[in-house]
Amino acid sequence: MAGLDDVFGDLFSGVDAVALFSPSGSYYERFTDLEDEDDDFELLVVGTENDVGADTFVELPLEFDNISDRIRFGLEGALDQDIIDDGDTLACATSVFSDDIDTVSRVRADADSRTGIYDLFARSRADPEVVKSVLELAIELGQKGQKGKPVGALFVVGDAGKVMNKSRPLSYNPFEKSHVHVGDPIVDVMLKEFSRLDGAFVISDAGKIVSAYRYLEPSAEGVDIPKGLGARHMAGGAITRDTNAIAIVLSESDGLVRAFKAGEIILEVDPEAY
Amino acid sequence: MDWQTLIDEPAVIATAVLILGVVIGYLVGRLNEELLTASGVPEAVEGTPFERTAQSLGTSTVEIVARLSAWFIYGIAVLTAIHIAQLLDTDAFWLRVTEFIPQVFVAVLVMIVGFIVADKSELVVSEYLRSVKLPEVAVIPKVVKYTVLYVALIIALGQIGVHILALLILLAVYAAGVVVVGTYAFQDFLVSSAAGIYLLLNQPYGIGDRVRVGDQTGIVQEVDLFVTKIEDDSEEYIVPNRKVFEDGIVRIRE
Repeated sequence: MAGLDDVFGDLFSGVDAVALFSPSGSYYERFTDLEDEDDDFELLVVGTENDVGADTFVELPLEFDNISDRIRFGLEGALDQDIIDDGDTLACATSVFSDDIDTVSRVRADADSRTGIYDLFARSRADPEVVKSVLELAIELGQKGQKGKPVGALFVVGDAGKVMNKSRPLSYNPFEKSHVHVGDPIVDVMLKEFSRLDGAFVISDAGKIVSAYRYLEPSAEGVDIPKGLGARHMAGGAITRDTNAIAIVLSESDGLVRAFKAGEIILEVDPEAY
Repeated sequence: MDWQTLIDEPAVIATAVLILGVVIGYLVGRLNEELLTASGVPEAVEGTPFERTAQSLGTSTVEIVARLSAWFIYGIAVLTAIHIAQLLDTDAFWLRVTEFIPQVFVAVLVMIVGFIVADKSELVVSEYLRSVKLPEVAVIPKVVKYTVLYVALIIALGQIGVHILALLILLAVYAAGVVVVGTYAFQDFLVSSAAGIYLLLNQPYGIGDRVRVGDQTGIVQEVDLFVTKIEDDSEEYIVPNRKVFEDGIVRIRE
């Protein structure tokens, strides 16, 4: 099988860094031993949790099912933390079919073509934890719907003061004088029930649910979202261009969860895939 | 020799007492072990250094406490037997011993509980502080641990009649110091949080309102227990809630 080694060896020969996605402890140690012998490459670990106690670690906000999203997030995180440089070649080892690492992909880090998927979490006004909880909530809502029927929802996260000034109430705010934060287990149930209401949820930087039932009225000039998406997506996209908020939208028609920042779609996930 | 004389023989009674003591002691030990296990003590003490030491010696905290109660009863039985058999006939000695044994028992128990509570509180506090990534913070769990141990030691020593006045004074000075320094250091926080409770309950202003506090004008972005975050076009002011009350707040309506 020496021939195969030669051919597949091209995948990882001369890489500047090796990125391990959620490796097991023993797997990681084999790499650290290798790194000690010759330090030609950088070793970094990407995952939802730093189980192996790696020195260079990029945290994934959720276990992306889509491999390219997963790798792109890891790459942009590593670029952002200056672990790797623009133009570096990486060997990304990740798992596709089993829980263990079974796939190696050779990727070139390109700072120009970044999608901002890392910025969505790490560089938003809202806390990364809050963005993560809202995204998880939207995904869960997309999976289960409201009493079995598909629902749509629009969450505007962060910069709540400005968002409130660029929107108006459609009816009485059920969250008036309440102090509930996303991430509390009881709140998920509340938000699911309230998802029947029309309008947007407004959530503050620290995760406080400021209001439901908001009609967003940003100017929609220059918002570029794919044609065919409805008013909910347009409103969500437009408010992120006018303010520093991000919008997480669950589509009622196709059931996908999309995240907007600065007027652009950053992330698209299918709740059914989780 | 008939039964009556046999029963009157002190040595026989003493032996009976001894056997009874062993049986009761064993039963109490087992009962204690069952009770402690049923009430979830093994889970509560899991991971504390005391438990780990006990484990490495091939035993456990529950077993130690249960054995202790058993040995306590064995001890009483042996002493009673000795008394009945009149091997040692000194009333003064007897009096001292009966008073002293329970106290020693309680003192040992207090020390064991003290060790476990100290270890456990150290664990809880360090777990709570884990998100604080500051090396110096590691000293706080240790302080908590040794404070609990110190209090346990004072109680235990008090039990067996050692003079503990000096230790008590030291504890009082220490506690007063903590309270005084604590209130002085946290007075701003206390005042701010009192104001914050009012702001959160009554919401005189909410997120999105345009307000002026002192010289700062802007849109309210966040209100929490201690601070209010106000933002204008380029600057974000983080105003302590104390200041909101001192300066008053102006809501601006266009």
